[in-house]
Amino acid sequence: MSKYGSRKSIDLEWIERWARRVNEDRVMPKLGRFFNARFVLGVDDVDYLLHMREGKVAKISEGLEPSDFGYEFALRAPSSAWSKFSQKTPPPMFNDIWAMAHPLHKQLRIEGNQLTFWQNMRAMHWMLSLMREV
Amino acid sequence: MNKHDQIVGRYVYVTCQGKTYRTYYEEAGEGIPLVCLHTAGADGREYRHQLNDTDITANFRVIAFDLPRHGKSLPPAGWHLEEEEYKLTTSFYSEFILEFCRALELDKPVVMGQSMGGNICLDLALRYENEYSALIALEGCDHSPGWHIDPLHHPHIHGGEAVATSVFGLMAPDSPDEYRWETWWYYAQGGPGIFKGDLYFYSVDSDFRDKVHKISGKVPVYFLTGEYDFACTPEMTQRTAEKVKNSECVIFGGGHFPTSEDPEKFKEVIMPILRKIVQNDPKRRGGSAGNWSPRRQDGPASGSRGERSSDRRVIDL
Repeated sequence: MSKYGSRKSIDLEWIERWARRVNEDRVMPKLGRFFNARFVLGVDDVDYLLHMREGKVAKISEGLEPSDFGYEFALRAPSSAWSKFSQKTPPPMFNDIWAMAHPLHKQLRIEGNQLTFWQNMRAMHWMLSLMREV
Repeated sequence: MNKHDQIVGRYVYVTCQGKTYRTYYEEAGEGIPLVCLHTAGADGREYRHQLNDTDITANFRVIAFDLPRHGKSLPPAGWHLEEEEYKLTTSFYSEFILEFCRALELDKPVVMGQSMGGNICLDLALRYENEYSALIALEGCDHSPGWHIDPLHHPHIHGGEAVATSVFGLMAPDSPDEYRWETWWYYAQGGPGIFKGDLYFYSVDSDFRDKVHKISGKVPVYFLTGEYDFACTPEMTQRTAEKVKNSECVIFGGGHFPTSEDPEKFKEVIMPILRKIVQNDPKRRGGSAGNWSPRRQDGPASGSRGERSSDRRVIDL
């Protein structure tokens, strides 16, 4: 095992554990008070649809269906990238979504309505960092 | 008894490209002038730890100024009538640094800049090699693409929070929380559109890839880059340093804001360079610097691949 931590499997059960960690966080309600959106966390070719209500994860769906009425934005990356991102001490170039999304590195795609994503970036950034506590 | 930092702040009037700017700077120490350049969208507070470090100020007159429109340096009068958004150009940036040094009557200063302040060191070496005695480019390289983007200045997006959050991950995860969030705060305080405008210089107007080989080597250039810097990666700095005559390159276990995100670690890597500058100073304006050595870290770990599940499952929380 390297100093950056062990491997993780990013599946629905793991995402549920992460979502519960987000929902019990003491700072998230302050940052996410106006964060109401549906976004996709893409892991390899699996899309997880997350419904955010006032900064809390209200529902997680595995895969997308027409009756979902779509989503506002998506963060899609290989499971290998999310695994590194979510390690306790993530390695260089995987420690941040902007590191992974930067044109130089191209590990993460940010798709859909970038406006909603940017408007809620501080809350998004905070909740994504909680992946390191799952 | 009251406790004070040793830093003193003043304003100096600097004329550049036809306009005069009331420019804020802070300084401490005596010896070789060491002019410090802040990163894009930030200000001279990024150097507060170095300004307060008596191991540094024993040999250097450390000076950190705020570029116009940054920190306590106001925009020029009439900025509200400007018809185009703010864009920092290579020529203005380079000339402003020179005029600032002249306004303070500095004799052959050392310039240390980080991020865009590191990149401009290449232009200073190309255009003004007779004006400076050494250049220290922190997180610098010859081309840093991809940062001049619209969401950084958009009326529907909170500029301060978005800008600060978008640079947070440039810092190393093991840098102290206190200092990482202090750096976030500097960014959140930037004026509207200033970070984006600075990044015009950083990502668009400055491309030194076909120029750096022309640097004569008269002025030594020291490159230092942290392994967590994804905007200016260690490889980008190393590739640049290989093309610059009379240069040295140090890669260390830090991030993009070494002076403010982890001042203790930064001290370990900068002191040997400062000591070398003192030793090589023809006028011996400084004394002797401490004996420090850089800390290095191992490479990244590898990850795993997940499995796809075919049936849709839904969890209500």
